[in-house]
Amino acid sequence: MANLTLSNLVKRFDDVVAVDHINLDVADGEFVTLLGPSGCGKTTTLRTIAGFYYPDEGEVLFGNTIMNNVPPNKRDTAMCFQSYALFPHMTVWDNISFGLKMRKVPVVEQKAKIERVMEMLSLKDLGNRKPGQLSGGQQQRVALARSIVTEPQVLLFDEPLSNLDAKLRVQVRVEIREMQKRLGITAIYVTHDQDEALAISDRIVIMSQGKIEQIGDPYTIYRHPKTRFVAGFIGMANIFDGVVLEKEGAVCTVQAPFGKVYIDTEGQEVPNKGDTIHFSWRPEDMKIRDRTSRNQISGNVVQAVFMGDITDLFIEVNGCRMRAQSDDEAKITAKDHLSFGISEKAFSILRG
Amino acid sequence: MLTAFFVLIQLLWVGIPILMAIMWSLVNPKDAWSYPNIFPPSFSLEQWRYVFNYTNIARALRTSYSVAPLAVLLSFLLSLPTSYVLGRKNIPGKKVFMLVVLLPMIMPGMVVALFLSRVFSMLGLSQTFFGLVIAHTLMSMPYMIRVMTTSFASIPQDVIDAAENLGASTFVKIKDIFLPMIRPGLIAGMIFAFTTSIEEFNLTFIIGTPTFETIPTILYSFMGYNFIRTNASVVSLLMMTPNIIMLFIVERFLKSDYLSASLGKM
Amino acid sequence: MKKKDSLTPFTLLMLLPGVGFIIFFIGSSIVLTILQSFGLFSIMGNSTLTLGYWKAILNSREALDSLLFSLKMGVLSSLGTVMVAFPLALFFRKSGQGKGMLGSLIKIPLFIPALVAAFLILNLISYHGLINTILMRLSIIKEPLRMLNDKFGWGVVMIQVWKNLPFVLLILMSAISSIRDDTIDAAKNLGAGYFSILFRIYIPLAMPGILVAMILMFIKAFGDFPITSVAGPVYPSSVAGRMQIMANLYQEWNQAAVLGVIIILTTFFVIWAYSRFAELVQGDN
Repeated sequence: MANLTLSNLVKRFDDVVAVDHINLDVADGEFVTLLGPSGCGKTTTLRTIAGFYYPDEGEVLFGNTIMNNVPPNKRDTAMCFQSYALFPHMTVWDNISFGLKMRKVPVVEQKAKIERVMEMLSLKDLGNRKPGQLSGGQQQRVALARSIVTEPQVLLFDEPLSNLDAKLRVQVRVEIREMQKRLGITAIYVTHDQDEALAISDRIVIMSQGKIEQIGDPYTIYRHPKTRFVAGFIGMANIFDGVVLEKEGAVCTVQAPFGKVYIDTEGQEVPNKGDTIHFSWRPEDMKIRDRTSRNQISGNVVQAVFMGDITDLFIEVNGCRMRAQSDDEAKITAKDHLSFGISEKAFSILRG
Repeated sequence: MLTAFFVLIQLLWVGIPILMAIMWSLVNPKDAWSYPNIFPPSFSLEQWRYVFNYTNIARALRTSYSVAPLAVLLSFLLSLPTSYVLGRKNIPGKKVFMLVVLLPMIMPGMVVALFLSRVFSMLGLSQTFFGLVIAHTLMSMPYMIRVMTTSFASIPQDVIDAAENLGASTFVKIKDIFLPMIRPGLIAGMIFAFTTSIEEFNLTFIIGTPTFETIPTILYSFMGYNFIRTNASVVSLLMMTPNIIMLFIVERFLKSDYLSASLGKM
Repeated sequence: MKKKDSLTPFTLLMLLPGVGFIIFFIGSSIVLTILQSFGLFSIMGNSTLTLGYWKAILNSREALDSLLFSLKMGVLSSLGTVMVAFPLALFFRKSGQGKGMLGSLIKIPLFIPALVAAFLILNLISYHGLINTILMRLSIIKEPLRMLNDKFGWGVVMIQVWKNLPFVLLILMSAISSIRDDTIDAAKNLGAGYFSILFRIYIPLAMPGILVAMILMFIKAFGDFPITSVAGPVYPSSVAGRMQIMANLYQEWNQAAVLGVIIILTTFFVIWAYSRFAELVQGDN
């Protein structure tokens, strides 16, 4: 078990640059998620780590060893596929033992390892069944078992939960994370589902059009998006431009299209007086009728969507549309006039 | 890269045999071609002239190309109602019927030929033109039925319902809905039936010769006891060329599932 | 639930032209074959139910030799075609699925009638043919090889392989195309090298197609008449050839019928064995 490094990785397909100078260092035992919309290059990156693609430029390193031209069957990685990719003509037992057989592990040792993994994943009595006789959830666990049992250096996941129904997805993703923590294997996980990424990762790599937008732990990514793309991709965000009028230490007075706001930029890139900045904040940071902050915004409710636990609100403030949330018991309808307070620390300064 | 290699191999694999036949058919009878020459010393069309003037090839051509269209027509007429039922109705024993339809293709050719000729003798059909047509029809029918059954099955019930809803009689249904909609399949079926008839050997050999000769039987005679390589070359080329043209027609204009359907995927 | 239609008299009438025509003619010839093998419906001599003809054939050296020879041709032709076609099918899986120029070239023998194919190849492999000439010129052999009309039957096998390659290739390509890329990737990912993937993944998963191809090839080659009579050894002849000689030359129709029944039985046995085997293999799917 070693760490994994991607250094200036480039992969092209004809004219398209699918992976555009990616740099990533993964620590031993870390769970890193590659997150982004389809076509962002996350699957290509994953498959390059697995060895199904060879880099055009840059390097893939396992520890200190350059793996660029090593074929996939000679790399110590194990991949869980979106479609599970179980061998349809082999039993569950034979599927799980395949990797061990290829590594020439003695049969007695195989038996012990397989039984332990099957126990771990609740597959104990399914050894003689064929994939066609299993449910989707069971197939997914067999795919997982097949990968884990080989005790690889790196575990790779290619959107393994996409084919499961919503409830099962939430349950299984936690199980995967627990398993990975227990075994301490480095894991690279690809998904387009941001809830999944936020829930189980040590760090998230947000990708768009082949490039990395931001790397960070889930909390930082959510609370402090660095680019416009990240702000818009993770959760919901209000994104605006503004001019810095005054600056007191880290606190800036910004003239935005909807009015003046006070932004505490401590911990982020501090702008200069006169700069035009892009900034964002989350709808849930707009607290109804909160008077504690200097930032007071009021406007008319254009649309109120009751979602059960919260009400999704579209507000118009001085001609600008923004999004807010309310968990207030009082029913809010359109045309209501509301005021909100936003903490000065709730804003993120965005690049690009 | 590997593709180029394979293309080359294929060109040789297929091209050389055909090229050899072409060359043999063009050998100048005055300048014999034999070992150790790799190429014939000179070319001439003499062989072609000889084959057409001194053998029965003209008669064989006439027989082949008059039996084939009749066999295709007859197998079309006989197959039409059967394919309709097999394609659109879910009758009990359908699977059995589909297998029975394949019999002429599965049954060993020479066995059927020999003993069908006995049956024909009893029926007075032996050594007759009509007997030949019946025999060729028999061999073409599996292809016809399979292809037309697939075509019929692919007509959406909605379309038929719509026609009925708008007042179409049975006659109109057949003329304006069924026949046009099965046309691509029909054409494929006819091409395969035609080719099958032209190539048919076993039954024709037993039932037809010596009264009737077709191109395959005459080719056989040139390859048997009196092996005349040059004659055989000419006849081979005569047999191959229309077939290869049909191949390109089928490949270009028709879907390839008709190809596999006709090969009798079991 | 698909609606079940019943067998009305009208439906039967519609089935009659097609199915009836086939059943009448094929049926009558098979029935006649069987009956004649037991001595009934004889053309010459008496018509009595007897096993005499069966005894005659089973004791006949020539018949047995022909039977063995045809079996050999069936097995070798089916093995040979599949072994050549399978790597090609694997190659096509990756590149273009047999479309384009290569695809059309490969399909040509499909449209060349069996006799013509026999002649074309015969030209090449004959004693003074192109292949022998080239091999001698290159000093690879000192004497021409007897590949045609040889005692073993190599000439026949070569013609069968050349003629039937596209037919088998199409079947195998269809079988292989149903194997998902994911499955192959997973095997590679778990450490399987080229041979492991071939024997543990490709061949088992393509097996139904392989079996179909081999069965059909066997039946064709076993029951063949024209190719073997042209390119095969002087002795023994194929089973079909023997049958034809018995009937037309010796006018021994009853014995010929016995051979006919043997051919039919072998054909059906092979088909039955395949479907039982296929059931076994795919039983739990």
